[in-house]
Amino acid sequence: MEEQNNNEIENELKECEKLRDEYLAGWQRAKADFLNYKKEETARISELMDYFRAQQILEILKIIDNWDRAMKHKPKEIKDSVWLKGIEMIENQLKELLKSEGVEEIKTIGEVFNPEIHEAIEETDGSGESGEIVEVLEKGYTLNNKLIRPAKVKVNK
Amino acid sequence: MSKILGIDLGTTNSAMAIVEAGEAKIIENKEGARTTPSVVSVSKSGERLVGVIAKRQAITNPQNTIFSVKRLIGRNFSDEEVKKDKSLLPYEIKERQDGGVEVKIGDKWYSPQEISAMILVKLKQDAEDKIGEKITDAIITCPAYFDDSQRKATKVAGEIAGLNVLRVINEPTAAALAYGLNKKKDQQIVVFDFGGGTFDISVLEVNEDTVEVKGTGGDTHLGGDDFDQKIMQWVVNEFKKEQGVDLSKDTLALQRIKESSEKAKIELSTSMETEINLPFITSTDTGPKHLLLKITRAQLENMVGDYIEKSINLVKKTLKEVNLEPKDIEEIVLVGGQTRMPKIQEEIKKLFGKDPNREINPDEVVAIGAAIQGGVLRGDVKDVLLLDVTPLSLGIETLGGVSTVLIAKNTTVPTSKSQVFSTAADNQPSVEIHILQGERPMAHDNKTLGRFILDGIPTAPRGVPQVEVSFDIDANGILNVSAKDKATNKTQSIKIEGTSGLSKDEIEKMKKDAEAHAGEDEKRKDIIEAKNIAENLIYTAEKTVKEAGEKVSGEARKDIENKIDDLKKAKDGDNIEDIKKKTEELSQLAQKIGAEMYKQTQEQPKQEEKPNEDKKEPEEGEYKEKNG
Repeated sequence: MEEQNNNEIENELKECEKLRDEYLAGWQRAKADFLNYKKEETARISELMDYFRAQQILEILKIIDNWDRAMKHKPKEIKDSVWLKGIEMIENQLKELLKSEGVEEIKTIGEVFNPEIHEAIEETDGSGESGEIVEVLEKGYTLNNKLIRPAKVKVNK
Repeated sequence: MSKILGIDLGTTNSAMAIVEAGEAKIIENKEGARTTPSVVSVSKSGERLVGVIAKRQAITNPQNTIFSVKRLIGRNFSDEEVKKDKSLLPYEIKERQDGGVEVKIGDKWYSPQEISAMILVKLKQDAEDKIGEKITDAIITCPAYFDDSQRKATKVAGEIAGLNVLRVINEPTAAALAYGLNKKKDQQIVVFDFGGGTFDISVLEVNEDTVEVKGTGGDTHLGGDDFDQKIMQWVVNEFKKEQGVDLSKDTLALQRIKESSEKAKIELSTSMETEINLPFITSTDTGPKHLLLKITRAQLENMVGDYIEKSINLVKKTLKEVNLEPKDIEEIVLVGGQTRMPKIQEEIKKLFGKDPNREINPDEVVAIGAAIQGGVLRGDVKDVLLLDVTPLSLGIETLGGVSTVLIAKNTTVPTSKSQVFSTAADNQPSVEIHILQGERPMAHDNKTLGRFILDGIPTAPRGVPQVEVSFDIDANGILNVSAKDKATNKTQSIKIEGTSGLSKDEIEKMKKDAEAHAGEDEKRKDIIEAKNIAENLIYTAEKTVKEAGEKVSGEARKDIENKIDDLKKAKDGDNIEDIKKKTEELSQLAQKIGAEMYKQTQEQPKQEEKPNEDKKEPEEGEYKEKNG
């Protein structure tokens, strides 16, 4: 009778120990999951901040594109004016600001076309090497050495 | 067991997702994008390129850049579809010996499976890099209308890529899974998939454990890109009308118009009007020209009205084919970026008389669903350790009958939180802890869960005793509230079972009540706060006058006593402006008297300098007073 009781208790104990191990493992896992989640979350937040920064810079770059276009069409009458000098100084100021933020222009003309950083918009039959970039339609940029916008280019056939 | 990758292998773009900690999430590719163009190429130097990089060099290498290969997979060369597509594709295709299709890159011929496999290899590698684990198993989706041969070919593509393809599931089924619609029995679901280049409709029936495709329809050559084209055409035409210059041959100008047309389309999903602003778009003998056009949502809807009508008609046709009426459909699921357009959602609502499901990003919903299917197979999603949340906020009543929340609603349990409170009157011997549940700011609007008294607090001026109140909810929703006097360590506690004993309806009602009364509740809370501030000021002012004794002249004393009486009267009323005004008046006078006293002290032999204000406040974080 007593032995049977003892057996029962022993079995129950075993069962309890099994459950205890299971619960402890679950608890440890949950805690580890949480700590890992926190680490991932921190990494994700910094990625997210980089992303938003890149998005803002891309918007500014669109304005710079238009500025470049405007500068290509300088009216003859003011080409040598002091006023234009001032405007160019402002342009440089803006470009310096982007540079200090880690924005760099991608090299294009004379380079061999590389789809990692260049996007081909047109092919032309010009003199020079095949696959060489002959014209830039829109400048490309990197932010801290990471591509944020490929350069749109014309490539020699 | 390694993770299972859910892959949406699309005609124009592909996406992938995995289940992590019971939830599906999209995995970004190496370039950091959430979708990957389904484009493959071998560059002139013999390098294999996949995704956006292949797309960027397509112009220089059109014969060797393969896109839309999904249109060819598992098909016979003699199929009508293949014949139609052949004229639209810039790369070479031919009949394979077994009647299938082959495409040419460089001087080699590949089967569509091999091309798809190249896309899958990239996805697999990028996912492995991202999650830092090897991936072997995958679920791949395909359109519901794919026949056996097309499904087999999709599976083979996965195998060539080194994946163990557990299942090839239907795209609409995956989308329904992402919304958890497979759990509801005997439901008819319509999946409306408006992608970049294709438009698919599927009618699904959910039964016990199965999702059956009852019918499919659509147009394999209608998509969001057609919408962009329409805007582009309009821009070019308008410019020609206004400026007399034809931009349709100017590659650079077209490129800029294309980008801003797509941007305008996206913006018009959220705003009613937008601008296409392209300075120096071109230049003529007369000088540079600018393009500036306003486009309204109504204009866009007009431009693409035919497409929308066509899509709705196709839905009607598909329903008719399976002998169903719009009213028979219980759920509608939106897939594909173009379904973000409000007009499309509106037309769908008009047809079915109900709102479609659109909470999950329509570009990602299929991959998410595929990952969920993978999770189900792996046993991930059936999480045994389901953690509950508190449906309503829990807190205690504090000075003025305000309900102060300790555990906010939607907090995952088990959890615990404690805060230090104090007494509201001098020499208060006990505090009553009145435990509340609900979202209303005033105690009597919320549900009382229990109360108890902690007594034996040593005599002290108000605000000095520190009573720590702790709330602890275990995983079963049992709430334990204890209060401890930090000076004597005397503790009282209460156990409340079934804090979530409220029915779903009751909880909803309490939440709705809180929303409905938000305005007036806020006002009442403001009054109570103003009264509490007034009462505090009266207390300190009276104390100052008493302690100052002879240092305050009779006249000044009279003045301040009058002001105190005024404020006391105002405090008993409910005019918040009056209370605030009188509080301000008394506060200014008290400061004046304080300054006067300070001057007198300075004239007297110098005493030890006392730090003043800082000492008044107890040092615990947020100190609130408890009405005894």
